[in-house]
Amino acid sequence: MTTTTIDPAIGPDRARALFDEELSSARTDAAVQALRNRWIARQGSWVSAFMERLAQATPEEKKQLGRGANELKKHVEAALAGREQELAATRRPAGAVDITLPGRAPRLGYRHPLSLIRQEVGEIFSRLGYQVLEGPEIEDDYHNFEALNMPTEHPARDMQDTLYLAEPLMPASYEPPTRGRAPLAPQPLTLLRTHTSAMQIREMERQEPPVRLVAIGPVYRRDNLDLTHTPMFHQVEGLVVGRGVTLADLKGTLTSMAASLFGSGQEVRFRPSFFPYTEPSAEVDIRCIRCNGDGCAMCKRTGWLEILGSGMVHPAVFEFVGYDPDEVTGFAFGMGIERVALLKWGVEDIRLFYENDLRFLEQFGR
Amino acid sequence: MKVLLSWVREFVDVDESAEAIGRTMSMRGLALEGLEPAGSDALLDFDVTANRPDCLSITGIAREIAVAYGQPFRAPAARLAPLAAAASAASGATLPITIEAPELCSRYVGAIADVTIGPSPAWMADRLTACGVRPINNVVDVTNYVLLEIGHPMHAFDHARLDGPAIVVRPARPGESIKTLDGKPRTLSPDMLVIADAARASAIGGVMGGAESEVAGGTRRIVFEAAWFKPQSVRATSRKLGLRTEASMRFERGADITAPPLAMARACELLQQIGAGQAAGPIIDAYPRRYEPARIWLPQPRIAGLLGMQVANDEVRRILEALGFEVSVGDGGWWVRAPGWRIDVHRDVDLVEEVGRHHGFEHLPTTFPGVQQAPSPSDPRITRDGRVRQIALGSGFSEAISFAFIEARYAEPFGDGKAVTLANPLSEKFAVMRPSLVPGVIAAVGHNRRHGRRDVQLFEIGTRFARSGEERVLALAWTGLATPDHWSGGRRDADFFDMKGVVEAVAAQFDVTLAVDLPADGSMPHRVLVPGRAAIVKRGDRVVGWLGQLRSEVTDAHDVPANDVVWAAEVALDVLAPAGASTAKRAMPLPRYPATVRDIALLVDESLSAAIVRGTIRSHAPETLVSVVEFDRYQGKGIPDGKVSLALRLTFQSPERTLTDAEVESATTEVVELLAREAGAVRR
Repeated sequence: MTTTTIDPAIGPDRARALFDEELSSARTDAAVQALRNRWIARQGSWVSAFMERLAQATPEEKKQLGRGANELKKHVEAALAGREQELAATRRPAGAVDITLPGRAPRLGYRHPLSLIRQEVGEIFSRLGYQVLEGPEIEDDYHNFEALNMPTEHPARDMQDTLYLAEPLMPASYEPPTRGRAPLAPQPLTLLRTHTSAMQIREMERQEPPVRLVAIGPVYRRDNLDLTHTPMFHQVEGLVVGRGVTLADLKGTLTSMAASLFGSGQEVRFRPSFFPYTEPSAEVDIRCIRCNGDGCAMCKRTGWLEILGSGMVHPAVFEFVGYDPDEVTGFAFGMGIERVALLKWGVEDIRLFYENDLRFLEQFGR
Repeated sequence: MKVLLSWVREFVDVDESAEAIGRTMSMRGLALEGLEPAGSDALLDFDVTANRPDCLSITGIAREIAVAYGQPFRAPAARLAPLAAAASAASGATLPITIEAPELCSRYVGAIADVTIGPSPAWMADRLTACGVRPINNVVDVTNYVLLEIGHPMHAFDHARLDGPAIVVRPARPGESIKTLDGKPRTLSPDMLVIADAARASAIGGVMGGAESEVAGGTRRIVFEAAWFKPQSVRATSRKLGLRTEASMRFERGADITAPPLAMARACELLQQIGAGQAAGPIIDAYPRRYEPARIWLPQPRIAGLLGMQVANDEVRRILEALGFEVSVGDGGWWVRAPGWRIDVHRDVDLVEEVGRHHGFEHLPTTFPGVQQAPSPSDPRITRDGRVRQIALGSGFSEAISFAFIEARYAEPFGDGKAVTLANPLSEKFAVMRPSLVPGVIAAVGHNRRHGRRDVQLFEIGTRFARSGEERVLALAWTGLATPDHWSGGRRDADFFDMKGVVEAVAAQFDVTLAVDLPADGSMPHRVLVPGRAAIVKRGDRVVGWLGQLRSEVTDAHDVPANDVVWAAEVALDVLAPAGASTAKRAMPLPRYPATVRDIALLVDESLSAAIVRGTIRSHAPETLVSVVEFDRYQGKGIPDGKVSLALRLTFQSPERTLTDAEVESATTEVVELLAREAGAVRR
């Protein structure tokens, strides 16, 4: 607060302006009290100084000065009372807390983004009446390749570079097949599953049609780490088998899934492709979510982003599991969870999913 | 497969731009991978799927474009077949061809030509270059031109350097060797097929020619080869030798057995056209295993039955015939024969795909499969793991996901010495299947600590591997403060009891009470843990897991900063809460009579464990004692050395009546006296 020496020579009017200036910065009870002392106390205040001066004044001056000092005193009293009231109105009640201090946040962890997508996909298909499964990560050659119409020396095995165990394991439990072409003896587990499609075979061996499932979990391929590849990643496999299941049903199902994952109105297209275990086969693209189809670096100027492979279950696969391909048809699809996460959130380096850096994990929610 | 648009246009009239063609073909099964201008021409790069070796050629792709656009395809066979027939009837120099392994080489077409070796004309060299093939000389370039144009690999031998001269197709002899065209010596085995002259191998069948018989500047007479080799054999040989060529790539996917005479006719025609030479005799066709195309029955309803869309009968027939299939109408469907180049078509579904893809998947309606029965239950582990995840998240742990393979040195302290290892790991870093999830979360703690995080709480739910099988586990790691910093104080580091509380909370989710204990045999709970700050976790008699402070050797190995105290735990979820275990519950009525609480403070030996005090009370107290809680433990000023002050809260309650003060008091006194007698406790 700026204060000037008490000097009654300046006269009550200029003193009043001075007071108004000092009052403007008085924001606490203590400051108001200080002003009261300085301006209207019996001794040593501005008003008392005017009174002392009055004693020596001529009668003419007395009249003017007396009125001026009196008005100044009234003004100061009224103004200070007003300010006190203002302060009282904003004063914190007894026991009040400073509500502007930080709250005590419960420490809650964050979910891994892949775990969020896994759950989301599981829920989408649960809603559509699918059973959601997980399965063994170490597989035998029969379930991972052969029964999926990829016999030894089939060129399609090159599409997936496989990680093999140094020493095969024998399965902990074994149920001999009741139909189909599965070997009658337990098979040595020799490899890390290269796709969740292995679960298709296991479940069709176990269940009679109709079948309606998704299998979700980690899969492994001998791919070097780079921006778009990791030697372990996650897949969701879908399989529907029954009478009259068609490719159009697959299109409806995947269009609905894409809308749930990427937003309603998400355009989807089916492109013919090839997989040994489906015929016809289709790759599925979504309209580029960055450029909306205009063409950008993300979609390599095509306007489309590939998200999964799919098709109608190959009759040879049905023969392997002992289903009659003249009685039932089915569709299957396999989608990379990382791929969905990369696209959905614009993550540019797939390796981030496996670094477990909290600065990354904390971006996706709980 | 890179194709020049101008070359394609020799076989089909299509006016559209390269971009438009690329877009259209992407929707017909030939995904456009790249497009570059080549002068006034354009080079389209199509991704050809493994089942379509016929599309590894200009004419194969031109045929697909013709079908897609409904334009006529100028099939090379129509022009070349009469040429080949005429050349076969010609006379002149001949060549004895012997096929000793007709299973592996079912057709061998040869022809002798007189040549003058020199460079190819610019138009030919330019086309080869544009498609990624280096021009060598006019004869070799002709074979490569034919390869690109009609997709059938050819080879040329220097006639003068063939002993005999003769062609013998036979298995390699044990230990036989050959220097291939790339200048490398190769040792062969009897499972490989060679093209030999009267004396020795002069080429590896379907893979690469030999350097000895290479066509070079001085060559005056050549033997052209156009043959068919068994895919599996070529693939095995190519793999074994680590030698992949344009030829082996096509043969191993399946070449057209009807094509060799056409390829030969085309090669002879080109030779003459570019002035490189001319045939010096007839085309000789050794064809021990004749190809008989199978007849496939395509029932009309099968198309809509698989695709879910109707395709008009005329359209079905148009598509199949344009693709080269022979179609005849039967009762309620079509009889179809696949052409020789369609090695991928064996059954009706393959034909349905052809019809669907050229009719256009874009016309598929969107429908949903009908439901005939309620869905089978989902894997119960998903719900169970979800409940575990909720507790971990709610306790402040963030979720980690780590690679399931780790470095052997990280796995070693956690395993039983019999780890599941990989035969062909990407690197030593990914060599062993994790015997525990804890190394993964420690690595993540290290990463976060090195990147400026002071407090790190991480968990992972996943599979650990042992030779006995796979097991689902929860791993937890915690370093730093127990609770977030706050202006109100209460700052303290996480400790054993924080981690123990979380593990118990997880168990409580499943109504399981765990015992946190030391091994009965006096051994250490786990070799990665600091003795005295470690425990095993049991459910009944079964060990569920462990928890405690990690030894610094373990955290150091993962580059966790020195002096960091890291608490870790691992819990086997399949033991804690077996998937599918009954979750049936019955509600308990609320108590009708009030509880009475008594607090007692005792002075006991500091070595006396809380469990013993609690156990002692429990074993003798009346049934009305419903809970015992330690609510304070104090050592220091006012407490004698070696002693600890323990405050217990006893809660008494009866389901039948209100307990009187007197009986609660006498029960409390009994408890205190019991503790004095059995544990030397003194009431304070």
